[in-house]
Amino acid sequence: MNQPELTITPSAVVITPGHEVLMEASPYGVDKKKLGMWIFIVSDACTFGAFLFAYGYMRIGTPVWGTPFGFSSIVNGMVMTAVLLSSSLTMLAAVRASQSRAKASANKWLGVTMFLGTVFAALHLREWFKLIGEGWRLFYNPTGGAPQFGATFFSVTGLHLTHVVTGVIALAIIARGYTQGRYDESHVETAGLYWHFVDLVWMFVFPLMYLMNAH
Amino acid sequence: MEKTFASARRAKTLFWGEIMAETSAHGAAHHAPPQGFISKYILSVDHKVIGIQYTILSLVAAFVGMALSWAMRIHLAWPDVHIPLLGMLAPNGAPGGQMTPEYYLSLMTMHGTIMAFFVLTAAPFAGFGNFMLPIQVGAADMAFPRLNRASFWVTFVGFLLACATFVIPDGPPLSGWTAYAPLSAVGAVAGPGQGWGQNLWGLSVAVFCIASLLGALNFIVTVLDLRTKGMKLSRLPLSTWGWFIDAWVSLLAFAVLLPTCLLLVLDRLGGTSFFIPGGLVFNDQLQPHSGGSPLLFQHLFWFFGHPEVYIIILPAFGIVSHILPTFIRKPLVGGWKVITFSEIGVGTLSFVVWGHHMFVSGMSPYMAMVFSVPTLFITIPSVIAVLVWVFSLYGSNIRFDTPMLFSLGFISLFISGGIGGFFLAQPSTDSYLHATTFVVGHFHFTMGLSAIFATFAGFYYWFSKMFGRMMNEKLGKWHFWLSFVGVYCVFMTMHLTGFAGAVRRYSAFVDDFMIPLIPANRFISVAALLLGATQFVFLYNAIWSFFKGPKAPDNPWGATTLEWDTTSPPPFDNFGGRQMIVHHGPMEYDGEASVMQTSAEASVAGT
Amino acid sequence: MSSNRELTMSSYVGIGVGLMLIVGIEVMLTYRHLSPGTLLFSLLSLASLEGFIAIMYLMHVKYERPILFWTIFPATLFVLGFLCYLFPDAFRMYSMRLLK
Repeated sequence: MNQPELTITPSAVVITPGHEVLMEASPYGVDKKKLGMWIFIVSDACTFGAFLFAYGYMRIGTPVWGTPFGFSSIVNGMVMTAVLLSSSLTMLAAVRASQSRAKASANKWLGVTMFLGTVFAALHLREWFKLIGEGWRLFYNPTGGAPQFGATFFSVTGLHLTHVVTGVIALAIIARGYTQGRYDESHVETAGLYWHFVDLVWMFVFPLMYLMNAH
Repeated sequence: MEKTFASARRAKTLFWGEIMAETSAHGAAHHAPPQGFISKYILSVDHKVIGIQYTILSLVAAFVGMALSWAMRIHLAWPDVHIPLLGMLAPNGAPGGQMTPEYYLSLMTMHGTIMAFFVLTAAPFAGFGNFMLPIQVGAADMAFPRLNRASFWVTFVGFLLACATFVIPDGPPLSGWTAYAPLSAVGAVAGPGQGWGQNLWGLSVAVFCIASLLGALNFIVTVLDLRTKGMKLSRLPLSTWGWFIDAWVSLLAFAVLLPTCLLLVLDRLGGTSFFIPGGLVFNDQLQPHSGGSPLLFQHLFWFFGHPEVYIIILPAFGIVSHILPTFIRKPLVGGWKVITFSEIGVGTLSFVVWGHHMFVSGMSPYMAMVFSVPTLFITIPSVIAVLVWVFSLYGSNIRFDTPMLFSLGFISLFISGGIGGFFLAQPSTDSYLHATTFVVGHFHFTMGLSAIFATFAGFYYWFSKMFGRMMNEKLGKWHFWLSFVGVYCVFMTMHLTGFAGAVRRYSAFVDDFMIPLIPANRFISVAALLLGATQFVFLYNAIWSFFKGPKAPDNPWGATTLEWDTTSPPPFDNFGGRQMIVHHGPMEYDGEASVMQTSAEASVAGT
Repeated sequence: MSSNRELTMSSYVGIGVGLMLIVGIEVMLTYRHLSPGTLLFSLLSLASLEGFIAIMYLMHVKYERPILFWTIFPATLFVLGFLCYLFPDAFRMYSMRLLK
């Protein structure tokens, strides 16, 4: 269609250049990206929840589950928790810096957050490889307990790890765009929300998958 | 052709080039009109193009799904018939054109999967919702246009994966659209199609989940954040309310289907035993899995599966509630609140009733009671909605155009199907009726046919807006009446054969008690084939009208919502650079008079 | 626009330390030879507390409009709550299974 002939109702006004479009205020008072991220977080929380419920179901239904994690695994888990929690704080610092328009500072804190996220992933993978070396598989429990242990442990922590790695990559993309001026503080804040969510999930994964399986 | 509502309007001509696409509102999507064929029609971020893409996808999927059902019905009625086309397409599944029992189950599985996901979830929600929702709230596009494009193309990939199951040598899976473990979880040993067929199926559904989640997110943020001035939530068109509530149900339900699919894939490919119990022997082979629970799969699947049927029906509720006032020329009884809160009630309760699919599964009988009671309760908001529609019809001067006929058909089909639900909601009667064709009749009525009739209603109603031409009324009426009679013939008979004990998912009638049902099944098959043929009337009408139909005015039905206050089809930014300001609710009808939502004139109706 | 500036950065660090302390309590409880049910309940309660603090402060919901809180919490807790309907069958699986 080339040039449509439009009839307009008398109440409508033509938008002239520079004229801001009038809209109803969002009931949430937040930028739409942030609202979108919250909605995504709700759905992702339900996804993780379903996984954890499947784990709970399996565990309750299995007479001999086994609690194979020694103190060193728990300590490793605590370190991972501390790393992720710190990364949440550094992410917060990055968001605050971006809101004060301190671009360099924001980038610095984004970088630290990405580094801490990578450290978390590295610690996690190191632990995985140690377990795999001991004979743990998705379908095999070398201690003779339930084979579902491996299935639930690797799938839940694997899903979380995927979210961490995706988050690090997303932060890199946001940082690059922010430096180049394509993204602003609202993008950083939205990415920050995702990162906090990843930490939030770990707050449940650590007690349920590690502490409940400690000696 | 209806006379358009004539109000005092200033005619003003606006040209594209003079319209500034750059707007700086807090939520408006701003992008310049696309250039080039690929940007305009293939990789478009425009919600209108994406809506049409979804509609075409679901049309193709519908005909694929129907063809599968024809093959099934031919086999059921005339088992010895050779179907040459089938023999060509599936030399393993139907050697010489004679369908094997396993292939029957494969066809049934893909019929259900394609219809439930790629037709019923796609067309009324993603298809019309994408096209109409931004216009109905007065926005220039969805909140996240590029995410929207991604949602469509991911859905498309999902559809390709589903179709791919037909071309692999082993064929499609045979575990039903419900893919119950352990049949679906043990792998290729379980039968033809259970190797790569089931893997592709799982991938297709997981991909569809992601696309749906992203789509739902887009719908929710658009309704909350992108409404134009004056479009308070109380003035939202009822179809928008339907899509909005549906998006929430979608978001929460698909979030749980995703892990279900992932766990199934882990069982199949990772050697895990989430769903596979010990001691299972398939085809004389002891399975190396143990410790899993098939019931867990059913719980997780149906936690999604039941809201899914409401995901399918809620946009239909919205579309019919939107169309009805236009053709009865009065607002719905109770205004927007009663119908909307009924939909919210239905959507919320849909999450707490899933166990009624599992009454005979070995689930705790106490949980059976816990599920049965809300299942009976959920009829209350559904019935309230139905009563709103029926009572609104009373005393009104109904214009029997095709969209209205299909809306009335929807009401009839939903009531008929819904009554069957009472028998299935209680464990006592369900233990007899479960897995009979009674259930098949029930869900086809409530889920399949109702939603399809509402989709047709939407199609006939909005075709002029989407494509700028009117569909043929006469063909539309033929389509309606033949379909209406046809669906009753096919699916009401299934209720009766189900009472008599006809088992579903059987490819042949070998038991003595089922032999007397063969004539009924032949009747169903003949009716089904005729019903299928009728749909070509619709297809012909749609395609012919697209090219040669009479040019459509802006507002052929005399409706009031924002989509009718712009051209047919709408310009790129939906309103041609105009600032839309809303003064009224969506149901300002009083007989011949009606007031558009954007009109500054006084209300004519109570809303 | 919202901002994360209602609290100072040191307050946030304090919150982080508090969360880590809760983790410490969780670990302590793990080694106290509680029954699995008690341990699970305690860990879930503490984790929920951590989560609540994280959402309200780190994710800033306390300083947003109440409607954001009343949208995300009921929806998520609704789904997670009704998923609990699965558990009676888990207990049946424990008591009725053939292979122990």
